[in-house]
Amino acid sequence: MSLNNIASGSGVHDLIPIHLLAPGQSAQVGHVAGRPEEIQRLEELGFRGGAAIEMVQSGSPCIIRLAGQKLCFRADELLNVLVRRGATM
Amino acid sequence: MAQRPTYTIALIGNPNTGKSTLFTALAGVRQRVGNYPGVTVEKKLGRLDLEGQPCQLVDLPGTYSLAPRSPDEMVAVDVLLGRQADVGAIDAVLSIVDAGNLERNLYLLSQVLELGVPVVVALNMGDIARSKGMQLDAARLRKQLGVPVVEVQANRRLGVAQLKSALAAAVQSNDQPAKQQSPFPEAFQREVNDLQRALSAHAIGVANRSNGQPSVATDDALPRYLVERLLLDTTGYVQTALHADGRAGGSDDVEPVAEALNAARQRLADAGIGVPAIEAQSRYAWVATVTDGVVRHPDNPVVTRSDQIDRLLTHKVWGTAVFALTMMIVFSSVFVAADPLMGFVDDVIGAMGAAVESVLAPGPFQSLVVDGMIGGVGSVLIFLPQILILFFFLSVLEDCGYMARAAYLMDKLMVRVGLSGKSFIPLLSSFACAIPGVMAARVIENRRDRLTTILVAPLMSCSARLPVYVILIGAFIPAQAYLGGLVQLQGLTLFAMYLLGIVAAAVVALVLKRTLLRGPTPPFVMELPAYKWPSPTNVVLRMADRGWAFVYRAGTLIMAVSILVWAASYYPHNSTVVRDTLQPRADALTAQIDALGADTPDRDDLVQQRDEVEHAIAAEYQRDSILGRLGHLIEPAVRPLGWDWRIGCAAIASFPAREVVMGALGVIYNLGSDIDVGDESDQERLAAQMRAARWDDSGEPVYNVPVALSIMVFFALCAQCASTLVIIRRETNSWGWPVFTFVYMTSLAYLMAMATYQIGIRLPTI
Repeated sequence: MSLNNIASGSGVHDLIPIHLLAPGQSAQVGHVAGRPEEIQRLEELGFRGGAAIEMVQSGSPCIIRLAGQKLCFRADELLNVLVRRGATM
Repeated sequence: MAQRPTYTIALIGNPNTGKSTLFTALAGVRQRVGNYPGVTVEKKLGRLDLEGQPCQLVDLPGTYSLAPRSPDEMVAVDVLLGRQADVGAIDAVLSIVDAGNLERNLYLLSQVLELGVPVVVALNMGDIARSKGMQLDAARLRKQLGVPVVEVQANRRLGVAQLKSALAAAVQSNDQPAKQQSPFPEAFQREVNDLQRALSAHAIGVANRSNGQPSVATDDALPRYLVERLLLDTTGYVQTALHADGRAGGSDDVEPVAEALNAARQRLADAGIGVPAIEAQSRYAWVATVTDGVVRHPDNPVVTRSDQIDRLLTHKVWGTAVFALTMMIVFSSVFVAADPLMGFVDDVIGAMGAAVESVLAPGPFQSLVVDGMIGGVGSVLIFLPQILILFFFLSVLEDCGYMARAAYLMDKLMVRVGLSGKSFIPLLSSFACAIPGVMAARVIENRRDRLTTILVAPLMSCSARLPVYVILIGAFIPAQAYLGGLVQLQGLTLFAMYLLGIVAAAVVALVLKRTLLRGPTPPFVMELPAYKWPSPTNVVLRMADRGWAFVYRAGTLIMAVSILVWAASYYPHNSTVVRDTLQPRADALTAQIDALGADTPDRDDLVQQRDEVEHAIAAEYQRDSILGRLGHLIEPAVRPLGWDWRIGCAAIASFPAREVVMGALGVIYNLGSDIDVGDESDQERLAAQMRAARWDDSGEPVYNVPVALSIMVFFALCAQCASTLVIIRRETNSWGWPVFTFVYMTSLAYLMAMATYQIGIRLPTI
């Protein structure tokens, strides 16, 4: 998977797949990996690079909080979200 | 007659923003629900009065974006662009926005603002956002957006008057075209302009070639917004959809258009603008500008009531337990609470039949009206209470926000058969009736997953199968109880029939996803809306809508089928056996009875004899009827299932609609055809007749446990519903899929019923 288009100023090394977040942990979305049309759907829901999220309930699917709303999301090899842990909400 | 509306206003917004509530607040409960021609996208229209001007309000399906990727979304875009002929031009768009999540809601608004139609923003649920500690500056938003913003609380009807005056001003300003705002970089906008010119020139060229006339294509040039969508849509859906309507050039023009689009995308990529990523970047950048200083989030997020409820309802163990309990309550209520109501419907239908019977002279016409029409339609209408109760629960669960949690919980299971949690609601609805179930599959974006869901939905045991199960179980499954009465064998059998449908659906889905509809497990991302009290208006409107759809079907398709089945079992009504032997005997008995005094001891005996002869006459007509002959014709085919020709007849008669089967069995077993499934003594009479049925050749009883099970398995799995097949045709836009559904379900039903019988008769215990 290509990680070239990650916003500058952040290293690739601190990105982790979203499902590794523990409940209650906050993070910032770094990169969404998947087919363009699936990525677009996530973006329309506000799930996009730079967005602050909080893991509410881990697992598959997981529940996250994003801009005051809750989303459930199943990450898999076709559509995944890489996040930067511990970003301020 | 109502005055013709002067203006048309379209209502659009994200799901779960209170859109239906606002619609009702503006237009009242007198809403017209229908479909757009050619697609089963719900069209909801209402009337409202704006400063004395009658207006039409069009509700569009809730959506996060105006990027068409499905017929639903394409219809929304077409309506907004005034391209949907039966709605007409749109004079203003009312965009409802959830104050609690401005960013995502304004994404959709940025698309709406590009359409070139006056826009009014209704800022809803500000009270909830403020209760969560948010600060909101509506005046600043209005200033930065440059369009009217009205704060409303749709559920309490606050701000509706202000909203109406803003709308009145907007529709009247529609003489001069609204400013089109584009958040895209200039290079992108230039490409869109160039493409629009090129496509219009192309369309004119095509029209000139084909008929030599100057074309109207200049008026009808592709709207700028659609050109932009063509450029942004890398999946090719928009091009295919436009092409299907003949709007993006003729049939030989697909290639050049695709080439032009690819060339434009390449030029943009060279300039550092990625398609489609540029859309989200540009729109969110615009959103950031217009919301600057409008919202202030609290430093410490408040834990809401919804969060507390979710801790229980989405809990891995407790959440699943509550879910199972909820489903149990819903289904037992459907059966228990519907019972008295079904009795009532039944009495009404019975009284109607009796009244008509007493008015009409005996003969084919009386038989047609009483047995064919009233009896046939009545055997369907009896399920109306069940449908209404089920939709009551489904609407309440949906409206309060629980359905999304159920989909979340079920995703874990659905993944195993290659589907996602989104397929859960369509499949659940199919337990009432596959038709709303198939229609509910529209929420699934991916075509393969939507198709798989549609194709297995009819395997769920719908309410029309219930009477078959109830009668056969009551007649042939012993009333044994285990564990001190806690587990009943009859109840267990009923449960097994429902389970059979579920297991079959899982297996078929798994096979389809590995063969015909091979593809990866669909992604699953879904909003979990905040819990709220269900709105009684919404719930009642939904129930009324579904109930009416059901009654309509009973009055049209079921009526037609009932008449056909009646005719097939009535004609030719001309049997030599009856004429030469049975009728003279009946007449002789009647003469004998008439000759005897009322208190003669032999009289009752003779009356009984005559009744038997008359039943035999009916049976003879039946055997000799078109349906009876067909039954004999297929007897060799149904023999391996343990069925005689009568059961074969009933099964054939039930292919258009399985509800017909009880009436057909009643006719076949000479009960008179006024058998009603809701009436317990009639059920008992039918059961007794079935127990007494004998094979014509050997005299052995026809029915035993393996035969009863084989019939139930057949009805559980067979595609005996023409309406469902028609709906599948509409939803998939092809006859191929309904044909496929019919063939696979019928074959599966036949093979499984045969296996059930053949294994059953070899088991020593049964």
